[in-house]
Amino acid sequence: MSLSTAPLARAALRRHGGTSYRLAVAAAAFGVVVLAWAVAVLLVRGIGVWGNNQPFVWGFDLIAYAWWIGVANAASLFAAVLVLRRHGLRTAVNRFAEAAALAAVLVASLYPVLHLGRPLLAHWVFPLPMTTGVWPYFGSTLVWDFWGIVSHLVVTSLFWFIGLIPDLATLRDRAAREGRLGVARAYGLFALGWRGSLAHWHRHQAAHRLVAALVLPLLLSAQTVVALEFVATPVPAWHQPRLPLQVLLTGLPAGLGVVLALAAVLRGGLGIERHIDDADMDLLARLLAAAGAGCAALYAYDALSGLVLGDAATRAAYAARLSHPAWWGGLALGALLPQLLWWRRLRLSARSVVPIGLLASAGVWLDRWSLVVDGLDRAGAAYRPSLNEWALLGGGLALFCLCLLLFARHVPVVSMFEIRHEENEREREEAEA
Amino acid sequence: MSGRQVAPLLGLVAEFDDDAPLLRTLRDARAAGWRGLDAFGPHPLPEAAPLLGVRATPVGIVAASVGVAAAAAQYGVQYWLGVQDYPLNVGGRPPHAWPVFLPAAYIVGVLWAAAAALVGMLLLNRLPRLHHPIFNARGFGRASEDRWFLFLPAADAGFDPVAAELLLRAHGPLRVTELRG
Repeated sequence: MSLSTAPLARAALRRHGGTSYRLAVAAAAFGVVVLAWAVAVLLVRGIGVWGNNQPFVWGFDLIAYAWWIGVANAASLFAAVLVLRRHGLRTAVNRFAEAAALAAVLVASLYPVLHLGRPLLAHWVFPLPMTTGVWPYFGSTLVWDFWGIVSHLVVTSLFWFIGLIPDLATLRDRAAREGRLGVARAYGLFALGWRGSLAHWHRHQAAHRLVAALVLPLLLSAQTVVALEFVATPVPAWHQPRLPLQVLLTGLPAGLGVVLALAAVLRGGLGIERHIDDADMDLLARLLAAAGAGCAALYAYDALSGLVLGDAATRAAYAARLSHPAWWGGLALGALLPQLLWWRRLRLSARSVVPIGLLASAGVWLDRWSLVVDGLDRAGAAYRPSLNEWALLGGGLALFCLCLLLFARHVPVVSMFEIRHEENEREREEAEA
Repeated sequence: MSGRQVAPLLGLVAEFDDDAPLLRTLRDARAAGWRGLDAFGPHPLPEAAPLLGVRATPVGIVAASVGVAAAAAQYGVQYWLGVQDYPLNVGGRPPHAWPVFLPAAYIVGVLWAAAAALVGMLLLNRLPRLHHPIFNARGFGRASEDRWFLFLPAADAGFDPVAAELLLRAHGPLRVTELRG
């Protein structure tokens, strides 16, 4: 048996992250401070600090929320599918996809509080016994959204943590061997006393796959509940039965693009090309291309209903969306650009997958703009996002980056025990052959 | 440990550098009638579970039953609060419009099923736990990396140190040590 997972453990246990890491953390931390400032201003002065108006009752807030949920969803979907493919190889890379999902859902979960209008009354959506005797109206999609985002956050964290327990035990034991007792205790606390009993492994695997399977139905509900919030309104561009499916599927390139770019950066940055290898990059890139093709199909259906099948109000709303650049940007970046990845040479080069992945993700953001802002379009009205909204967007991105930087520094970015298991199975197959 | 006082013998531990000799020894030990054995390694080994008498089904049963109960409880809470305790007339809709109670029931069912999978797995494994005597075994720190360990308990009714050591040495372990604690 080889010590092939040692580089991963060493990467997590190294004493210093290096100058570029420190600079990146400092930059992300500065962004998080900006986020905190923007949130404080919002809480003190209220939602008037945003550029929202009539008819643009929603803007950056809902775009960002729907977009981050899309990122989280696609990343979770990728991770869960990998874990559920039991006998196949290449399950180990689910770890950083889960981490990306977790960071994204963390950022997303800020928004339902911030965009409530009265954030200090956020607890009114909880079914809490209050002196007023008033309960939430459970038929409201906003209340479903509360359950949806809470469950998404908790189940994604559980999925990530269950897979992490044995690897934390490895780090605990390695740190103890290096004589770093404080570090060993810190990892040991979260490893929960894991001792690698094969009986424990058996139940652990069952629980891990079970939670992976439970993530899937949750992904359906997370995006559809967001979409139903739109559908429940009388706005022509939103009051469409196709919206849940559209929001669900057009969200996929957002998360797959981020995971693909992240994979390319991690394998280069940490020198772990053996663990995130060309087959992984190939699979991810083809998934992104396929998701882009799915989006293109939905754009086609959107055009069919907006030009031919819909009533006059639907057609007018569709024409209004077409008259703004966001719709075209979403089509070009989210649906068409990923099609380049069908070329193998482009799939396997970090120089092409990082920009394509990030631009595809940005394309989905433009698609959400087209739906939210241009969907509310009325002649003579304009929506201009304020500085506070830009700060929330940039600060949210910084928070996402900070979470991932800390993750890549302190835990193995690829599941070590799954790599060992895969290598073991491969060796056995070779021995039998 | 200090002085001449010797801690009681808990059992014998064999260390292997691969899973194949561990599995062979585990099979031999089961055939020889050993009970209460345990094996440790750096990754899951599905073949070992039946030899150790472990089934994963209870994890699934715990998760499924908690999930169904949670979904039912969520539906019940919504029904009680929205229909009995504080019915709201929203656009003339009937208070008990059951389809609108389903999304939250479904989502909360999934939430608790996932939580129960983790908690159930930990409880069945008797974790978390601050310490375990097996950590005293020599070189056990590498059980989480690249070594395999088999433990034969002294508490077994027919424990015979000589026979136990012969059994453990049959398939080429790196070493066999006594575990005391």
